[in-house]
Amino acid sequence: MEQQEIIKGTSLWQDAWKRLLRNKLAVFGMIVLAVMLIAVTFGPAIIYWMTGFTYDYIPPTGNLVRSFPPSLQHPMGTDDQGRDLLARVLQGGRISLAVGLISTIVSLVIGVSYGAIAAYSGGRIDNVMMRIVDILYSIPYILLVVVLMSVFGGQNAPEWIKYLSAKVGGEGNQGMSQIFLLFFALGLISWLTMARVVRGQVLSLKNQEFVLAARATGVSKFAIIFRHLVPNALGPVIVYATLTVPSVILSEAFLSFLGIGVQPPYASWGSLAADGIKNLAIFPWQLIFPGVTMALTLFSLNFLGDGLRDALDPQTRKF
Amino acid sequence: MTKIGFKQVRNFSVLIVISSFLLSCTSSANNQYWGKTVLPKENVLRYSSGSESESLDPQIPSGQPEARILSALYEGLVEYDPKDMSPIPAIAERWESATNRDEFVFYLRKNAKWSDGTPITAKDFVYSFRRGFAPETLSRTAALGYPIKYAEAFNGKQFFVKRNGEFVLEKDLAEKPADAPTVAPFGTETEFRKFIKSPDRVTLPNGTLDRARAIEGNPKLKAVFAFLPSELKNATALAAKIKDSKDELTKFLAANLPPDALVCADANACNDAAKQSLADGLNKVIDGNLFYTQEWFSSLTLSKDAQGLSDAIAAENTKRTDGNKKLDQEIADATNELTKTEKEKAKKKLIAKLAYANRFLLEQTFTEEIAAADLVAVKAEDIGAEAVDDYTFRITLKQPAPYFLGLLTHQFFRLVPQHTIEKFKKDWTRPENIVTCGAFKVKAHKPYNVLIVEKDPNYWDVANVHLDRIEFPAVEENTTRLNMYKAGEIDAFLNHGVPAAWIDDIRQNYTDEYLDFRENATSYYSFNVTKPPFDNVNVRKAFHLGIDRATLSESRKVTKPLYYYTPSGIFPEYDKAMEKVGEEVRKEKGISAEDWAKRNDFNPELARKTLTDAGFPVVKSGNGWTCPTFPADRVKLTFNTNESNQRIAEFAQAQWKQNLGITVPLQNMEFKTFLPLRNALQYEGMSQSLWSGDYMDPYTFLGLHYGFPNDGGSGFNDDVYNKMLDEANAELDPQKRYEKLARAEYYALDKMPATPLTINASNWMKKPYVKGIYPNPGTLHPWKFVYIERDQAKWDKDVKNIMTEVDPQVDAELKQLKSTMTK
Amino acid sequence: MLSFIIRRLLLIIPMALIVITLTWGLIRLAPGNFYDNEKNLPKAVVDNIKEKYGLNKPWYQQYGIMLWNTIRGDFGDSVKNPGRSVNEMIRTHFPYSATVGILAYILALIIGLLAGTTAALKQNSAFDYGSMSLAMLGLSVPNFVLGPILVLIFALWLFWLPTSRLEFTSGYILPVITLAGIYAAYIARLTRAGMLEVLRSDYIRTARAKGLDEKTVLLKHALRGGLIPVISFTGPALAALLAGTVVVEKVFAIPGLGNIFIQAIFNRDEPLILGIVAFLSILVMIFNLLVDISYAFLDPRIRYE
Repeated sequence: MEQQEIIKGTSLWQDAWKRLLRNKLAVFGMIVLAVMLIAVTFGPAIIYWMTGFTYDYIPPTGNLVRSFPPSLQHPMGTDDQGRDLLARVLQGGRISLAVGLISTIVSLVIGVSYGAIAAYSGGRIDNVMMRIVDILYSIPYILLVVVLMSVFGGQNAPEWIKYLSAKVGGEGNQGMSQIFLLFFALGLISWLTMARVVRGQVLSLKNQEFVLAARATGVSKFAIIFRHLVPNALGPVIVYATLTVPSVILSEAFLSFLGIGVQPPYASWGSLAADGIKNLAIFPWQLIFPGVTMALTLFSLNFLGDGLRDALDPQTRKF
Repeated sequence: MTKIGFKQVRNFSVLIVISSFLLSCTSSANNQYWGKTVLPKENVLRYSSGSESESLDPQIPSGQPEARILSALYEGLVEYDPKDMSPIPAIAERWESATNRDEFVFYLRKNAKWSDGTPITAKDFVYSFRRGFAPETLSRTAALGYPIKYAEAFNGKQFFVKRNGEFVLEKDLAEKPADAPTVAPFGTETEFRKFIKSPDRVTLPNGTLDRARAIEGNPKLKAVFAFLPSELKNATALAAKIKDSKDELTKFLAANLPPDALVCADANACNDAAKQSLADGLNKVIDGNLFYTQEWFSSLTLSKDAQGLSDAIAAENTKRTDGNKKLDQEIADATNELTKTEKEKAKKKLIAKLAYANRFLLEQTFTEEIAAADLVAVKAEDIGAEAVDDYTFRITLKQPAPYFLGLLTHQFFRLVPQHTIEKFKKDWTRPENIVTCGAFKVKAHKPYNVLIVEKDPNYWDVANVHLDRIEFPAVEENTTRLNMYKAGEIDAFLNHGVPAAWIDDIRQNYTDEYLDFRENATSYYSFNVTKPPFDNVNVRKAFHLGIDRATLSESRKVTKPLYYYTPSGIFPEYDKAMEKVGEEVRKEKGISAEDWAKRNDFNPELARKTLTDAGFPVVKSGNGWTCPTFPADRVKLTFNTNESNQRIAEFAQAQWKQNLGITVPLQNMEFKTFLPLRNALQYEGMSQSLWSGDYMDPYTFLGLHYGFPNDGGSGFNDDVYNKMLDEANAELDPQKRYEKLARAEYYALDKMPATPLTINASNWMKKPYVKGIYPNPGTLHPWKFVYIERDQAKWDKDVKNIMTEVDPQVDAELKQLKSTMTK
Repeated sequence: MLSFIIRRLLLIIPMALIVITLTWGLIRLAPGNFYDNEKNLPKAVVDNIKEKYGLNKPWYQQYGIMLWNTIRGDFGDSVKNPGRSVNEMIRTHFPYSATVGILAYILALIIGLLAGTTAALKQNSAFDYGSMSLAMLGLSVPNFVLGPILVLIFALWLFWLPTSRLEFTSGYILPVITLAGIYAAYIARLTRAGMLEVLRSDYIRTARAKGLDEKTVLLKHALRGGLIPVISFTGPALAALLAGTVVVEKVFAIPGLGNIFIQAIFNRDEPLILGIVAFLSILVMIFNLLVDISYAFLDPRIRYE
């Protein structure tokens, strides 16, 4: 090792980044995700510009309103309504990725702080906080989603949701405001497991020497939790977060399967797959393209998550 | 993206291999039948009628899946014909109807028995009918039987009114008192018939507030509830109390009664004239402002009923005052003229004075001094169902209902066992307790799993029951059910069981199994005519014209385009009437025959013109159209979550966008969220409706927009239309009645409360060895005709002709059954 | 430890009541009623229904009655399936879900632990990459996709197994595999991560340094610590599995509790929803308690005061 490098000091994050780049699968994941992000961001506009198809364009002649296999005109074929599947997969990707990322961030922020604080505080506080989690666990979340969607959906949506959906989908766009509610609902339920996992990790760490040392040297409680305990618990947390993204995307798919997910004519990968599975035996492309796109994305997310875990884990430096 | 798609495909070649394997195996199997088709060893039918039945009590559930199951277990007076659903004899061997068709007499067969061997008599029918309407049964289909005299009143816990010991009659309240119609003799004359055929009594709602409103709405009825001197049980005490004026109420009365009204306070002076003037005085007071508005009323101790009434009125008025204040503010703030007029309309008036409510409060306050108005609860014994003797049953209707006989096939009118229900109470439908009267009886019932019924040896026609057993597995998912069928685990399944995407393939390739026939059901979009912009009939018409129905039904594959409110091709006689009346309408309107012939063609220019005429000009923009002034934010298309609804909605949305330049936002919601929104007319714009006819008569569709509240979902209530339908139903000649109904239909089409979309089509499959089961307009199957054909040569081929082909076995049985009809 | 367990057990009752209260509130917030249908019911019929079920009483009275019934453990009859008591329905339908769920979890544990441990021991080997990629595939395929694909292959193409329903023993195979798939994937990944963590820790090095043979190190020390994330996942996962997994029950037409529960929610069958929620919440809380207890056994560093 060169002297200079040591003097510069390698921060945890710089170090991690280097290690991450050495992990081929993680790099592959990052590339796929980047391509996917670019595709869903700009793709729909390009398709519209090139072919005139949009995710909600239904041909006006009856014999075109059916499912066509992939062709030059429709690279992924069309769905039962004769809509271009590529356009729908791209548009669905916007929603699925947004659902996954936003809800996971929400669950990370809430879950990690909640779990760590509960575990470190211990005693009565820990007890009360975990009992609250237990209670929330037991609330049937499908009921919660139904209520959220109906009570706060459409006209009754809170102003900030209306504002956001108007920004994204245009004025008075009901479908979009339902989607924002969905983010909110899924975020609300997915932090619970995260909190339990973090708590479990912190519990096993909090009596270790480095924490005791930090406490003895008068480091504040806040700093102990967020500078010492959380980074050390990060390994499983990141694995869990990478599991949360797909599980949230799948939760959304599940709600779509039950018919209370995204609003038509919007779609998500989950709802496209749910529609496609019904026709698997006759129109396999309806499942294959959205399904494979979704699986590839989740794959990449998982590879990236694993790479991050290996890269970030402070203990790996010991080896 | 395309490139990545290709890469993905390679990565997932496994998946593709599997899928293409499956694909090739479905199409290359080159089998005549779909999936596994193996003749069952026993005479057992496995039929999936959807999810678990709500209840095995025929008077509770309303759904069609339940109707199918219950028709195996229970029988009524009549059963439906397996092909055209007309009534055929069941427990009733034959029947007669009075000339004006408001009375029916049924002659029951003497060998009918319950599954426990008890004989069935007319008393069982009386019990079943009374139980069905009893308020505590909580039947959700009871409204079907409301044409039966006093059935609605009994079901709604209503009251007859007595005045001076006599019942108040409808004709007393009529504007022009008509002479009592002479009652033609019909069947055996009995005491009950005398009562039920006597002039109609007035019935009043159960809820005090509703009753007060009903009374206030009819001046003659209101006069009935004026105090009579005879109703002042103790005029002296009352007058004395008022004179004493010890509390606020009596103070108020003392101040408002004329001086001579209180003469009665002196017991000696209290003669008839004095009593009369006290009664008159009170009547004047109660016709004034409502008592509840007086603060002093709250200080009194009231009975629970009266307290409820006064609270209800007070609460409603507060709500209205507050609501109106808010509306006033909004009107002041409104920038949009449209909003303003709408809000003005929405302003509610305060509840007007309700004389009966005041009287009721007085009755409840002075219980000792004032007699309550004489209200007599309508009892079970009052409804028009009578056992003339053990084997003769008579039904009396409140008005002629030509369609009523067809209604009697509904499960609500099927027989329930009095002896079992009274013994086991709510547990009577458990498999160990249940007693039934149909061709089959319960063998095993595992809820949400399977219901197994077996041939009932006690059934009167057991010789003609061919199946030993029917299994009804409860399966909710269409795909799962289709898989079961393909794997040969079930032999047939319920209507609308084939997912839309599969239909092309199955309909073309498996013509021996797939049944696609017109159904007694329509789907349409209701316009909310109570809210702008759809309160404008031209806007409604423009949206109606803006949909290409031919393309819609072509893309929906199993449906036919619908241009009217009644489905064509279901009621052949009515179709002829429609044509005939249509010709008259054409001449009246001065439309050329050529234009008339094209009236149903898709015409987007006309749609745009109509919308422009309605004040929302449609202008060209690029390749398409735009309608900049149309308040698109005030319109939504609301539907309940369902694959088929969604496709139709997406199609309609695309059509309006392309033809009118208006993007109507879609709003789908879970069924239970959708219903109150639709039924209470809270939706904006349009809502999805699907109506399966309750009986085989066009009135089941035309009645959707009749009166208010109705089931049409549009808020449409047109006096002319209501009157036209009333007149048509009073018509005795069936053909003339149809013409009158057709007239009404053309009238409604002009008013366009809803835009028709498609005639639904049946969409189900059966294995070729299942015979005697037909795709009739309601997809309801009388199970005793169904059999398993063991001879492969006789298996069904090309079911397109199933309705016209002759099945000797079924025909012989039908003929034998019907032979008693003319005895 | 014992007092901790007793305290937690006693806590379950008030917690279940809070859950019930929140659920009741949610049901009341949701629009629609169990009796709503395509047809407008006449007002008189609606009034009769409201009177029978006490829906015309003020809300606080209804709440009180509901709470009292919950405490007595009598939820009354389902309003959608009149004549069937909620308790009876739970008794009938829970065993279906429990059987399928437990079988699936056992299968998932066997596959997941084996694959996860082996992958951790042979980190960066072909087996590691292979099994972890497979696990990822398992996580990326929703079970409403996996189930029908299995059905297509084994029931409709090969005709080896029934398409659905639990009529025969062979009917269990496909639902159990479908359900186990995603859990096996989770467990494999969690085990691998946990094991890697532990294998690098000081106490394993100590153990190795003491000269213990690799087998003892692995089974007695490493596995115990590496299992912690799996255990914390097992509690809620097993509870969810016992409660029935809606998708699998729908796809395979299994009359389990999950399927009934979803239908109850869409039907607004209040007594049934409350009964199932009460039952499930107690189940979940007991499982969570077991998880917390097992932490103490698996990791001596964790102590409960």
